[in-house]
Amino acid sequence: MAATSADSQNSQVRVRLTTRDADLVLEDNAPILIPTSFRRYALSTLVNSLLKSEKSVPLEFLINGKYLRTTIDEYLTENGLSPETTLTVEYARARIPPQYVTSFEHDDWVSDVDVLSGQSPRILSASYDGLLRVWNTSAQVLVTSPGRAHGGHGSFIKSAKFVSPDQIVSGSFDRTLRLWRYTEDQDGFSASLTPQLELYGHKSSVDSVCPHSGSGRILSASSDHSVGLWSTRKSDAPAAPEALVPRARTKDGKRRKLSETTLSQRGPLALMQQHTGPVSGAIFDSNDATVGYSSSWDQTVRTWDLVTASLVDTRPISSALLSIEHMPSLHLIAAGSISRVIKLIDPRVSAATVAAMTLKGHKNSVVSLARDPTNEYTLVSGSHDGTCRVWDVRSTQQEKEGAVGQSLYTLPRASLEGKPSPAVGDGVKVFAVCWHKEVGILSTGEDKVVQINRGNDQT
Amino acid sequence: MGESKKRKAVTKDVEEDAAIVSGDEFDFGQLDGSLSDDDSASGSDAESLTSGAEDDSDAVSIGSDEVPWEEKVESGLLTSKQDGGSVTVDIGAGENDAPGKDQEAEKSEDETPNYRIVKDANGNDRYEYDEIDPGEDSDYSVPDGEANTIGDIPLSFYDSYPHIGYNINGKKIMRPAKGEALDALLESIEIPKGWTGLSDPSTGKPLQLSQQELELLKKVQMNEVATDGYDPYEPTVEWFTSKTETMPLTSAPEPKRRFVPSKHEAKRVMKIVQAIREGRILPYKPPKEEEAEEDEVPNYDIWADEQPRPDHAMHMPAPKLPPPGFDESYHPPPEYLPDKKEKEEWEKREEEDREKDYLPTDYSSLRKVPGYGRFLKEKFERCLDLYLAPRVRRTKLNIDPESLLPKLPSPDELRPFPTHEAGRFHGHKGRVRSLAIDPSGQYLASGGDDGTVRVWTLMPQREVWSVSVGPENAVNVVRWRPGKDTPILAACAGDDIYLCVPRLGTDAGPEAEAAQAVLDAGWGYAASESNTPKSSLVKWSRPSSTQREQGVAIVIHLGHTAKTLSFHSSGNHFVTICPATTVPASQAIAIHTVSKHQTQLPFRKRLKGGGSPQVAHFHPSKPILFVANQRVIRAYDLSKQSLLKIIQPGARWISSFDVHPTSSSTAGSDNLIVGSYDRRLLWMDLDLSPRPYKTLRFHEKAIRTVRFHPATNRYPLFADGSDDGSIQVFHGQVTSDMMSNAQIVPLKVLRGHKVTGGLGVMDLDWHPQHPWLVSAGGDGTCRLWVS
Repeated sequence: MAATSADSQNSQVRVRLTTRDADLVLEDNAPILIPTSFRRYALSTLVNSLLKSEKSVPLEFLINGKYLRTTIDEYLTENGLSPETTLTVEYARARIPPQYVTSFEHDDWVSDVDVLSGQSPRILSASYDGLLRVWNTSAQVLVTSPGRAHGGHGSFIKSAKFVSPDQIVSGSFDRTLRLWRYTEDQDGFSASLTPQLELYGHKSSVDSVCPHSGSGRILSASSDHSVGLWSTRKSDAPAAPEALVPRARTKDGKRRKLSETTLSQRGPLALMQQHTGPVSGAIFDSNDATVGYSSSWDQTVRTWDLVTASLVDTRPISSALLSIEHMPSLHLIAAGSISRVIKLIDPRVSAATVAAMTLKGHKNSVVSLARDPTNEYTLVSGSHDGTCRVWDVRSTQQEKEGAVGQSLYTLPRASLEGKPSPAVGDGVKVFAVCWHKEVGILSTGEDKVVQINRGNDQT
Repeated sequence: MGESKKRKAVTKDVEEDAAIVSGDEFDFGQLDGSLSDDDSASGSDAESLTSGAEDDSDAVSIGSDEVPWEEKVESGLLTSKQDGGSVTVDIGAGENDAPGKDQEAEKSEDETPNYRIVKDANGNDRYEYDEIDPGEDSDYSVPDGEANTIGDIPLSFYDSYPHIGYNINGKKIMRPAKGEALDALLESIEIPKGWTGLSDPSTGKPLQLSQQELELLKKVQMNEVATDGYDPYEPTVEWFTSKTETMPLTSAPEPKRRFVPSKHEAKRVMKIVQAIREGRILPYKPPKEEEAEEDEVPNYDIWADEQPRPDHAMHMPAPKLPPPGFDESYHPPPEYLPDKKEKEEWEKREEEDREKDYLPTDYSSLRKVPGYGRFLKEKFERCLDLYLAPRVRRTKLNIDPESLLPKLPSPDELRPFPTHEAGRFHGHKGRVRSLAIDPSGQYLASGGDDGTVRVWTLMPQREVWSVSVGPENAVNVVRWRPGKDTPILAACAGDDIYLCVPRLGTDAGPEAEAAQAVLDAGWGYAASESNTPKSSLVKWSRPSSTQREQGVAIVIHLGHTAKTLSFHSSGNHFVTICPATTVPASQAIAIHTVSKHQTQLPFRKRLKGGGSPQVAHFHPSKPILFVANQRVIRAYDLSKQSLLKIIQPGARWISSFDVHPTSSSTAGSDNLIVGSYDRRLLWMDLDLSPRPYKTLRFHEKAIRTVRFHPATNRYPLFADGSDDGSIQVFHGQVTSDMMSNAQIVPLKVLRGHKVTGGLGVMDLDWHPQHPWLVSAGGDGTCRLWVS
């Protein structure tokens, strides 16, 4: 035994080190010989010394799409590789599993969360009690949106996003979108939220909104099988369709306007109705505000030309889709489905294969996706099984149905206090995730909290 | 007999009288004679005398009817006075006959009287005559004194008497004693010649047969000619010779050479013997040697003296010889020895299945070999083989049980189908009795024991609307009206049906208004047609104001608890059934028309056979109503108002059934699935047979609900829910080909619902567009199952 261990310590393997991070590229790309007894840490110090950087960067190493968690020798024997072959080792910045930081308590289920970057980030949460709340990072509510009687939503808010630092858009189960003016006091401890515009057009619940601040456009996804395109400016927006504006019936049967508050009502710029099922998500292309993508229960991802409001492309997937996210640098669309997987789709017309990759691991429907603001290869998903998972699309393996990825980390709900997750995530379903550079991973759910997880590298 | 004696006496009296006292008799004879010749008359008299007593008695017996007349004669003169006229005649006649009389008197005086005078019972004289001997040459047969005189009467009439008849003298012929057993034995020992063992029926004595009679009987028995003197063995008379002789036989003596051994033959034998002795003849051929040819091929042993060499590509080592030795040896080569695994396998196997019945074992020396353990057993079995019977080895049939299963496609090929739970709907207190997904596929309606109807969004599972129809009334059914534009929910609770327009999102959306309009349209119709004969039992009324606030539009008061409700695909009609046995038969099944606010009770009488009605469904495309009672489903043609078909699934109590949504348009016939409380799920092909095409019995408890997927073209699925808390999902493809039957493949058992109070899954519904399933449980939750 002693002889063999000595042998393995002596034996060396030829390694070619590569990376996809531009700032970590080695000048000399020739293969080097390293002892097979090396682990991740030894490799990391080796690469750091080769990089000659002042501050050492913790690195992770990927061999054939798998993170190195053992010695190289063990890896070789496990995969039946000869030590004579040249290994291609990809390295990337190491990620520490995001740790639970804090929770923001709500009165009802929290349906959506968004973060406004700034000097001090502001957190916007939308809740099933029909109210929007803006928080600072120290869990203080800066402002709560007015209720129904004062121009608020008539029902649950399903989605809410910051359009700009002073504007918020929200979509609700009451079939409307609302634009809010958000102004913050100088001291930063109180703010005001006033409804600005009421947008009518959808005939059913508005499940998702996605604003694009530069162009002043909003995409909305609704259960009435349509994708709405809206303007954030009152002047741009066309008049609201008469039929959809609610009117109260007086005793003599005539219709009369319901709301006392004079809130402007506007209609959509365009309604794209090619979907045959409820639309679960609609997003803008990150690089091009004239292109939109939407996912739907009808098992398709559709690409829209927003200038002409016309359908460009339809990508069929084998199961109903519940969430969508764009990964611009990889030209991929990530779509979470009811069949518990995340499909990565190449939306370009030239793409040969529809589903580039499948990310497996969730135990229930994947209802929310958010990409890593710092790393184009990672994304986080929120699922009805009560967990969020962080994925690295580089870590894949070839399986029967194509490339399959495993999750890096699983973030359980803090509200469970360490108890095992209940079956089908009953009571702790995650409804939305958001990944912010500074705040970290925010997730909301059935347990009525916004949970913040943060990795140590995010400060 | 006494009468005949008396008569005899009377006749003799007459003769005597005639001879002595008067000639009355003769008068009479004279009278008779006046009719014939005198001579003949007298002659006849004489003859009668000579013929004797027998003749007399005979004549008397013939004229027995003359008895009173004879008595008159006997009584003498008194009687003659009475017949005065005749007396005078008699006298004259007497005088004429007198000489004849005298002659007779003289004759009798010569001979001794042939009678004796005895006293009879009255003390009068009585003449007893001797028997008249007819003589040897008489024509009369001599009656045997002991002959039985009973004539043709069967002897059996006397069976109960000690006698068997009477002889000629009227004496009883006593039944001859049968003899004691000893007598019978003695008789049987000394069988006299001609003994038959029979008794003569006329005398009752043993019947004896003469030698001649016995021979005759024998002949009859042998089926021979029974006549006397027939000889069956008469010598043949050769009228013609039977032989044809060609040559006469010689009588020359045998020649000597026939008895003396042949010298020539002896000479020839000696020649051979000599040749053998000299060796000229060999008795056997010496075998030829033919090995020379094989020696032509030379053999080279290239490994004869091989030294061990290092490995080299060109080096060819000697081929491995088969290991020497024999694994039955006490010291077999180690390669024969089984390793631990083989040993275990050998020991695990059945004795009959083992390839060899020993295990190679190694002993360092022969003296360490223990006694052969199986010796006794082997000998015993050998003995059994020898003296009992050859015992046949049991031959095992190695059939793979998998191969016996029918070839069905793998469930993986039939995806998608619901495989896992995606969410739960919490909120109902008490069990959820019914649920339904709305036609748009976004909302789920449910109703339960807590008397509330709730509407949820399918994903996430959030309650968006609820109405309480009274905590005391459990909601039995909730069903959406077909049609995407008008969300109308029908719910049965208590004795009422509620038609509601749920508030989904906003208070008054355009579709909610449309739905309200659909429901309100009937008020006007009902008002204008109020004079039409409507069942007064069912009343369509407006709800109370609080209920109207909540969204209830119409309350139909049915009067009985409806347990099932089913909409027609057009949405204008729905049928409800009140299955309780107390409901009058005419009110159990009701068809409601939404647009007219009208209720029809189409059935006047209880359906025959199978208890109260249970479920009813409209055909998805044809005007047919299916009504199921406990055992039979009937299909009624609504346009002709006639019974179309009777379907007998063979279930004891049908709980639910569903009509295949499209099979009648694609395959030409309707397909039904029927669930029953006796745990069976039955697939019925109505054109194939009134009996089930397939019976699926996989549940442990009663099946409550069965449901086809509404979009069967895309998802040919159906599912059932059972009291055991499980849902079973099946693939049920109906082909358009008329020749092939539906293909049914069990796909998945979905478990999750807890069984509470003996109730597991209460109701099921499929998502209209997706292969998703919702189920209502007795545990108070609804669950969503997705692919």
